[in-house]
Amino acid sequence: MKRAPIVISATVAGLAGVLAFHTTPAAISPGALPAADGGQPAAPASRAAPSGHRSSSGRPAGAASPASRAAGTSGETRSAVGSGVDYSYGVISVKVTVSGTRILDVGIASIDDGGNPHSESIDQQAVPVLEQEAMQAQSANIQAVSGASYTSAGFTQSLQSALHRLGLQ
Amino acid sequence: MGTIVTIDVYTSRDATAAEIDQVRCQLTAARAILQRADEVFSTWQPGSAISRLRSRAITVADVPAEVADVLSRCAVARELSGGWFDPWAMPGGVDPTGLVKGWAAQRALAAFTAPCISGAIVNAAGDIASYGSPGRGEPFRVGIADPSAPRRLAEIVSLTGAIATSGSYERGRHLIDPHSGRPAVRVGSASVTGPDLGLADALATAVAVAGEPGLAFIGPLDGYEALIIGLDGGRSRTAHFPFSAPQ
Repeated sequence: MKRAPIVISATVAGLAGVLAFHTTPAAISPGALPAADGGQPAAPASRAAPSGHRSSSGRPAGAASPASRAAGTSGETRSAVGSGVDYSYGVISVKVTVSGTRILDVGIASIDDGGNPHSESIDQQAVPVLEQEAMQAQSANIQAVSGASYTSAGFTQSLQSALHRLGLQ
Repeated sequence: MGTIVTIDVYTSRDATAAEIDQVRCQLTAARAILQRADEVFSTWQPGSAISRLRSRAITVADVPAEVADVLSRCAVARELSGGWFDPWAMPGGVDPTGLVKGWAAQRALAAFTAPCISGAIVNAAGDIASYGSPGRGEPFRVGIADPSAPRRLAEIVSLTGAIATSGSYERGRHLIDPHSGRPAVRVGSASVTGPDLGLADALATAVAVAGEPGLAFIGPLDGYEALIIGLDGGRSRTAHFPFSAPQ
């Protein structure tokens, strides 16, 4: 599941200002994947326009341009796994995949919890805030999700480490 | 604190390189606002102004201006919520955390003034401040997570301004009932919409603690609406809670 482009900022220890713009039509749909050879993303499939609205500008859906292109950064897709960081129930490491300066995916690379049963609830709530991006991509035309979410300092630190390894922080 | 804040900026057409630079500068300003809020208000850092206030190393007379501002907003929220939001009733000393996250996110949003921006949305771990439109003059559409299955959506809201959601499933923070001093689990989650995220944040906490009686103090507040998702999954809400029309 590919997430819509997002900006990430952190209240703790400055993650890179990874910046992406959305231009209408709406952000990249779940079906669009970055080109495997590292080129720019394929033209996103346009979301169905709300009934009664037609774009008067006549811009084709594929003309939406991510800021990474305008800023001249490479569209190559790269991944890194951050350092293992202690969290409440063990050690977590986070994997991040980017295209240029745009985060495509974030996930848990590994959890070493010594078999602690609490880690099951961590797993279920894992990648919490950024899972919201996956939820957005699943649902018709929403831009955010509100809801109390679990956020682990260990997760954030490992994510920061992964971004650092990609030269983005 | 480990809170991840996401910021999405929408333009009505492709932005020029100069416009992107302008927005990048504003992103830097927004991050500084969030960073500063963390330094001042983190109860996890012993040297923060709020920690020193709580430990009585300093008094209210000595605190930075932002702390005085936030405490005064907390007093307003306490009054408006009939005492169901009460940072002074928290164990360990005054704890404005239930308002600070929203307050900081609302201030971060204010950094984005570039003319090329048609809309912007700051999402602080589910507390959301917005202005403008993602495109074509349409409102933002925001989902509310299902408290019994947080990767599923329970509702979709047509958002003008801010929304905050509080629930007993928040990490590590029991919602304390100021009247009893003990954790309250009366709702699955409570969401409050309105123009100011700091106040919405505090009111969502208050409604989550109070349960259905909390709707009675939201109703009279101009511009604010609330939705409760009950422990049984049932819904109750104020009269004009902005559900999005089916697409």
